[in-house]
Amino acid sequence: MPGLNQFLILGAVLFCVGIYGALTKRNVIVLLMCLELMLNGINVTLVGFNRFLAPPVGVSSSPFAGQMFALFIIAVAAAEAALGLAIVIAVYRVRHTVQVDEIDLLRG
Amino acid sequence: MTDVIATIAFWVFAISAVVGALGVVAARRVFHNALFLVVALGSTAAIYVLLSADFLAAVQILVYVGAIVILMLFAIMLTPQAVELPSFAPGGQQFAGSLVALALFGLMVGAIVTGPWALAARPLDQPTSYDLGRGLLTTFVFPFELASLVLLVGMIGAILLARED
Repeated sequence: MPGLNQFLILGAVLFCVGIYGALTKRNVIVLLMCLELMLNGINVTLVGFNRFLAPPVGVSSSPFAGQMFALFIIAVAAAEAALGLAIVIAVYRVRHTVQVDEIDLLRG
Repeated sequence: MTDVIATIAFWVFAISAVVGALGVVAARRVFHNALFLVVALGSTAAIYVLLSADFLAAVQILVYVGAIVILMLFAIMLTPQAVELPSFAPGGQQFAGSLVALALFGLMVGAIVTGPWALAARPLDQPTSYDLGRGLLTTFVFPFELASLVLLVGMIGAILLARED
């Protein structure tokens, strides 16, 4: 059975691939996908910690605090995706592009 | 026997999650990026099952694959591109990005491998729905209410921003 380290490294790989994409992609929608990947890696890490480092019953009021954090991250990610894509569509209506380097109205 | 199956399942789904993640970054068409995102998120759901987080696996499928990816497909559909631009940044930025990602990854792996984790006596394997539901209405009731407020504000904001006028 794979141990804690394997799950943590899987989370780190997902997070770093997401960071690489977020730093190099030009399409805003793909940027948002990379953000979801990063949040996903964090969730894997949290759930792995929850399973392998769980405190004995009675110490913590809830044995699944780590999974609870992951649930809240998913909720916030859903709100973030909805708002982000709404902004993308609003920008597209004005500028007719979704490439980040062409959305440069605020460039000095 | 179950150990062998769990190990095989872990490697299968870990590799497919990483392949999906790399596909999100490497595929050239936005639609293919979204399909690779489905692969990555679905494999993560399977990883949650292996971590005996059954409720979270279902939530992952419902919210991520069912809602967020569909939302992204709609956004791709609503923003047609006349010309397919190369979707990657210039070479210098790619190099810097990979440098940052690799450095961060090395740092993380170093911390993970050397970390003095206080492992529990045995992994926590028990049904989660009961305790998660109890937790949401007792210990975590304030963050729970706050999350519903965030979702409500997000929904209203999305409608306002994307409205046609």
